[in-house]
Amino acid sequence: MSYIIACYKWVVDEADIRINPDLSIDTKKSKGKISDYDKNAIEAAVQAANILGGKSLGLTFGGPETRLSLKDALSRGPAEGCWISTGEAAKADAAVTAKALAAAIQKISDVSLVFCAEGASDTYARQTAPRIGAILDWPVVTSVSKLDIEGSTLTAVRKLDDCLQTVKVDLPAVVSVLPEINDAPIPGLKAVLAAGKKPVTEIKAEELGIDFSPKTDVTEIKGYLMNRKNIILSEGEAADKVKELAAYLRKEGVL
Amino acid sequence: MAGIYIYSDKKDIVAELINFAKESEKEACVITFKQEDAEAIKDFGAEKIYVLKGSSQVPENYGKAVAELLKKQDADLFAVGATARGRDIAARTAGYLDCGMVSDVSSLSYREGTVISQRMMYGGTVIQSEELKGLCVVTVPAGKFEAAVGGETVEIITIDVEADSRVRLIETAPVLREGTDITAVDTVICVGQGLDKKEDLQLAQGLADVLGAEIGCTRGIAEERKWLPVERYIGISGAVIKPKLYISMGVSGQVQHVVGIRDSKVIVAVDLNEKAPIFRAADYGIVGNMYEIIPLLTEALKNA
Ligand SMILES: Cc1cc2nc3c(=O)[nH]c(=O)nc-3n(C[C@H](O)[C@H](O)[C@H](O)COP(=O)(O)OP(=O)(O)OC[C@H]3O[C@@H](n4cnc5c(N)ncnc54)[C@H](O)[C@@H]3O)c2cc1C
Repeated sequence: MSYIIACYKWVVDEADIRINPDLSIDTKKSKGKISDYDKNAIEAAVQAANILGGKSLGLTFGGPETRLSLKDALSRGPAEGCWISTGEAAKADAAVTAKALAAAIQKISDVSLVFCAEGASDTYARQTAPRIGAILDWPVVTSVSKLDIEGSTLTAVRKLDDCLQTVKVDLPAVVSVLPEINDAPIPGLKAVLAAGKKPVTEIKAEELGIDFSPKTDVTEIKGYLMNRKNIILSEGEAADKVKELAAYLRKEGVL
Repeated sequence: MAGIYIYSDKKDIVAELINFAKESEKEACVITFKQEDAEAIKDFGAEKIYVLKGSSQVPENYGKAVAELLKKQDADLFAVGATARGRDIAARTAGYLDCGMVSDVSSLSYREGTVISQRMMYGGTVIQSEELKGLCVVTVPAGKFEAAVGGETVEIITIDVEADSRVRLIETAPVLREGTDITAVDTVICVGQGLDKKEDLQLAQGLADVLGAEIGCTRGIAEERKWLPVERYIGISGAVIKPKLYISMGVSGQVQHVVGIRDSKVIVAVDLNEKAPIFRAADYGIVGNMYEIIPLLTEALKNA
């Protein structure tokens, strides 16, 4: 039975990032999460596996903290999980990440379809799907808002800046989906319990024999500080708050 | 021949990237996939225009051919307009070249063989500076450089190449834009998913009418609920606006949205949830039910 793979990333939750007065950033309080739009990629893989009669698999690449992601990912439907584990993922750029994922896809070997999301919540670089396609020399379809599978042909509607484009491609292929492709369900208790029993494979990154040196050199990471007045009217009658706000806006001269 | 190689499906960005190449004291070499596209930019002042001729109508299917051209010509850099097509072809080319790539730069310069770039991370919470050496790829949003003043192109070079024919184009349906440019107005009323139903947009329209404002929205209102056209949504993947006054209603203010309003003069938020991050991004806020607050505000500003 062939595999339908959803690539997903375990990321720092951007809402938990604190910015210090010197603009350095503090991610210590951040809990990890599955990158928001990857939930739609996982759902797309689960649905496609049902249609194709294949097996859905969640594939991720990352350091020790990524172990936590597997149960979460599998509670969203995939039959299996696969984790390419490394200590170096923090330094991995898009080139390294795509090479690791592509190498794992080759190792899994019987793969008919690979899904990625539009972009990750942390980097939002939107490189992974096209890069994986290039490395495997597979066809790539990005920005997909709708898809149909018949036999081994996939028909996709791509949302581009100036048009909707319908394309057809024979599998295997790499597809990146937009979040509006589906409603990613919130897993119920049963799904969460079942996830713990699903098979997970760990591949040590070193075993894949790829060059882990990033191509980009990060020279500075700096938080963005929003400097606003933060005058928040929370107490009292609605009518009074509105009156007060209207007075402020008049004073600002923006009406 | 070395030089900065350029691709964009948007003519404006081509002109801007030609100027970037000139500022970097490099030859501007533009890549196109159709004779007519080459003709259309012929007087933009590029040193060279390549026409890669192959069997596919989809530019993204030329990633491998572009990678081969860049290698053969010993290109310094591949600079691509950051649109859906551009990001795809750029990343495919980077994949074939196994080289570095920086997506959607917020600033970019090229000095002595080094690309120096900045981009946003974590939805805009963080700015990351990066340097790349050797042939690499960047995608550049519109408006980062002035457009080149123009001039004759020295050479148009046509090359027959192999396109990836596995992705077949079936049909193209143009997306009709309604014409409003929310980046160009003084006042924007922004609706978020706190809005219960589409008809309630009336609430925002009432306030917009009083202020002579346009209505904008968050991504979900446009992309998922489809209550407003996509050109009206604001944020990291939508429009970036700088109005004098921005008023949100039912917008939680996640960073991916707030990035799009940071340069507004005055930011006002109305939200039920006192802890909503939008209040940290706002100059003025009212914690309350917008179904109550917005009609009162509309009334109060009528006589402003
Ligand atoms: C990679 C990536 C890119 C993204 N790009 C963008 C982007 O470009 N633009 C964008 O907007 N988003 C973007 N997002 C999504 C973003 O993270 C948020 O999910 C989104 O902005 C939330 O939209 P919202 O505020 O309308 O909805 P919600 O977060 O659901 O907020 C609704 C708000 O309405 C309030 N509310 C409910 N009822 C009422 C009432 N009666 N009166 C007053 N308030 C009420 C609630 O308290 C809440 O604060 C992106 C996300 C990712 C991961």
